[in-house]
Amino acid sequence: MDTAWEKAKFKRPKRKIIDSLFRLAAFSSAVLVVVILTLILMTILIRSLPALKLSMIIRTPGTGYYLGHEGGILNAIVGSLELISGATLIAFIIALPGVIYLNTYLKKNSPFSEAVRFSLDVLWGIPSIVYGVFGFLLMLAWHLRASLLAGMVTVALVELPILSRAMDETIRMVPSEIKEAAYSLGASRWQTAIRVILRQAFPGIITAVLIALGRGLGDAASVLFTAGYTDRLTTSLFQPVATLPLAIFFQLNSPYPEVQQRAYASAAILTFLILLISLVIRFFSRKLSRHKIK
Amino acid sequence: MVERGRLSLRNLNVYYGRNQVLKNINLDIPKNSLTVIIGPSGCGKTTLLKCFNRLLDEIEEARVEGQVIVDDQNIYDPGVEVTLIRKKMGLLSQRPQVLPMSIYDNVAFGPRLLGQKDKSYLNPLVEKYLRLAGLWEEVKNRLNEPANRLSIGQQQRLCLARGLAVEPEIILGDEPTSALDPQSSRNVEAHLLSLKTNYTIVLVTHILRQAKRLADYVAFLYLGELIEFGPASEVLVSPRDPRTRAYITGEIS
Repeated sequence: MDTAWEKAKFKRPKRKIIDSLFRLAAFSSAVLVVVILTLILMTILIRSLPALKLSMIIRTPGTGYYLGHEGGILNAIVGSLELISGATLIAFIIALPGVIYLNTYLKKNSPFSEAVRFSLDVLWGIPSIVYGVFGFLLMLAWHLRASLLAGMVTVALVELPILSRAMDETIRMVPSEIKEAAYSLGASRWQTAIRVILRQAFPGIITAVLIALGRGLGDAASVLFTAGYTDRLTTSLFQPVATLPLAIFFQLNSPYPEVQQRAYASAAILTFLILLISLVIRFFSRKLSRHKIK
Repeated sequence: MVERGRLSLRNLNVYYGRNQVLKNINLDIPKNSLTVIIGPSGCGKTTLLKCFNRLLDEIEEARVEGQVIVDDQNIYDPGVEVTLIRKKMGLLSQRPQVLPMSIYDNVAFGPRLLGQKDKSYLNPLVEKYLRLAGLWEEVKNRLNEPANRLSIGQQQRLCLARGLAVEPEIILGDEPTSALDPQSSRNVEAHLLSLKTNYTIVLVTHILRQAKRLADYVAFLYLGELIEFGPASEVLVSPRDPRTRAYITGEIS
């Protein structure tokens, strides 16, 4: 009768097999993601258990800490937080006006905005060690030592493209009707950006800050030459500063098992810190985003 | 004779790229009355409306020739402050577009742009315009709630209140009831009718019955040309141009 239909019927078992295979593959890769994350977290946690004491987070390294004696990594926790807040602040202050300019003053897809976006994408892809080297050269030019300030500037450079592009994407999503509504009430571009667009894009901006923060917090290569390292708490922009990634790095290099365990404990603390920051910021962003137009 | 109004178009041509959407439009919109622009979809109604408050500026490929005269001033003159022009007009769009803030802040948005911060000035103002838009009774106990929680009909009336709060002379409506249910539509229509004694209202619609209910004057636009303009009783009842007649009898749509 209908030959095409007959053929299709004939092919059906084969299609079914392909479909189940595809489904299996999709399911496996989804499971794999969760398994990998669990494995990483478990490994870090199990390895760090012997070293996870309160003293890890409330004390700085004592004498002989790197030989397995008493102490903690408070210097690196505080140092990382100092560094990251400064760096993110710098990156944010540079990124925000730029992103607003791209999205409200420039026409959509203008050559200049395309050039800026392309540059940001390339910057995003540059390995952070390159930023580290660049920061190091800046440092020499400004006659700075390895210090909190130099570290902040370098990490800000690492974060800048991430922060800009992520904010750019969320601000681009703001419906043009909302902008038109504000314009039609007599708002200037600047007023529209500050009073309307930023409010609408607020949750996305928070996410962008989080992504940048996480990247900066975990990056070792950019601070290796620029921030230095110290066993003391940093109280000035011009002193070297300890950071968690480098704390992990130095301790893992130690031949002493106690110190290596502390490296894992530091990794656990770093992971926990990122989780904590995410949760806190998400909590506030939800509270502040109730006005968003869906 | 039609009274000369505040809003006039002189030899207005609008192009999107190479495409001419409005062709040599000359029109005087009488003040303190309700003028309805009708015409089939794609005839340039919305474009015409967007000329009045220069929202066309936001459309990249749009190019405007000719004059749009508001209060004896061509608003397309170089050096005209566009935000000041827009403050003279309240706009109702097809889908109500509330701003991402509270009900109160939506209405206070315009006055605040002018630097008004004083609560004792803003509070009565917000109440006044919410009342004028017929929304006050429904929202007076939840002024600080996000505007996005209102129903769509309420949102449109909020947009009306917000537009009125900048104390415009002109109200522009781009099919302002098209997204609303019949009840809310009637509600918005009723408020527009009650406002026309104090405002010049220009409404775009594709609903002929709505035009009949509301219009004092009717402009018929077809393929970018202004075919006919005059009092509603003439244009809608005994149109002079065969194209207008064809549209009104439903032959072209």
